Amino acid sequence: MGIHNPIVNVAVATNSFRAARPRMWARGLFLLAVGAPLMFFPARARAQAAGTAQAAPSLVQTDVKLVIGGEKIKNGSHGTLSVIGNSLQFATSNAKVEVEASSILDISTNEDSRQDITGAAKLATMAIPYGGGRVLSLFSHKVDVLTVEFKNANGGYHGVIFVLPQGQAAPIKKQLVAMGAKASVPLADPAADDKNKDNKKK
Amino acid sequence: MKRQTRSAVSVIFSIGLACVLLLLVGSLWGQTGSADSNSKTARKSLPSSIQIEPTDPGDVPMPPEFRLAIYENLITQIEKSGRFQHVYRSGDKDAASVPDLITLRTTAQSFKKGSQKEREVTTVAGSSSIILKVHITDHAGQTLVDRNVEGKVRFFGENLRATYDFSKKVATIVRDAI
Repeated sequence: MGIHNPIVNVAVATNSFRAARPRMWARGLFLLAVGAPLMFFPARARAQAAGTAQAAPSLVQTDVKLVIGGEKIKNGSHGTLSVIGNSLQFATSNAKVEVEASSILDISTNEDSRQDITGAAKLATMAIPYGGGRVLSLFSHKVDVLTVEFKNANGGYHGVIFVLPQGQAAPIKKQLVAMGAKASVPLADPAADDKNKDNKKK
Repeated sequence: MKRQTRSAVSVIFSIGLACVLLLLVGSLWGQTGSADSNSKTARKSLPSSIQIEPTDPGDVPMPPEFRLAIYENLITQIEKSGRFQHVYRSGDKDAASVPDLITLRTTAQSFKKGSQKEREVTTVAGSSSIILKVHITDHAGQTLVDRNVEGKVRFFGENLRATYDFSKKVATIVRDAI
């Protein structure tokens, strides 16, 4: 019995070691499960930071009024209009509307309407009776109006109108056109105009 | 004998009652069926969907914001009328497969430029108005509505109100005429 007992004890010791093995595995797996996301966390954070750097708004205009066409946003709401990444975004405290530059069919400002009809054509249109010749505008006070015509994912034609402080619509239009938005009336380039004048003088 | 006659009478009476009940149920069933078929034919003749095309400025020097305000207001007002199951925007791919689709087109005819200041001061003079031709056709191209509609802004507000007024009038016409 005296000799037999130690043998039995060894077996018990080995069994307890074997029993401890799955526990170690479990601990290892637990540590791996907890540690793995932490290992990748800094990289993910860096990637996120890079993402926000890419999507940082390049143009921001506050106190913009959405006149009509905001879908989820009520007509007449005030918010911030910005060019973020490749799209135009209007955001209020509750909702936002985003239009990709590539989906814009036409973008215009109220200045374009004035550019459109000038000189002889303006005189000719003014001659049309019953007031048919003068340019009709939505707003009588001096503001900039930015009009965006675009297609949704289903091909549906949309229009959205914004009212901005005077002189603020043209830079937004310029940026969106540079990103691929179409514009039936191109923005007048003052530098090019000056060059043309100089050439004519020569 | 008396018992037999009584039981025979009760059997005949119950059979007769059952027949009358069956006839009543049958006639009622027939009536509801015909009513259903009538409503179905009525529903069939009414279009369930409308597609709205962008406003054509015609010869009127109408800036894009004005055209878009009319278009967006039309969509909102016709949706609000509740007359159609679907109000499709121009170019919507889903509209192509709708068999009873009708199309609404608007073309500018003329406008009278008023003055907001004058409106606010006098409340009589200075009204702005726009006249547009409203043309509605069915899927086969047959004209359903073809008339001029005027949108006005009389007392207060920007010219934007004229587009709202016009759209409300068109929504009423569509609801009543179709």
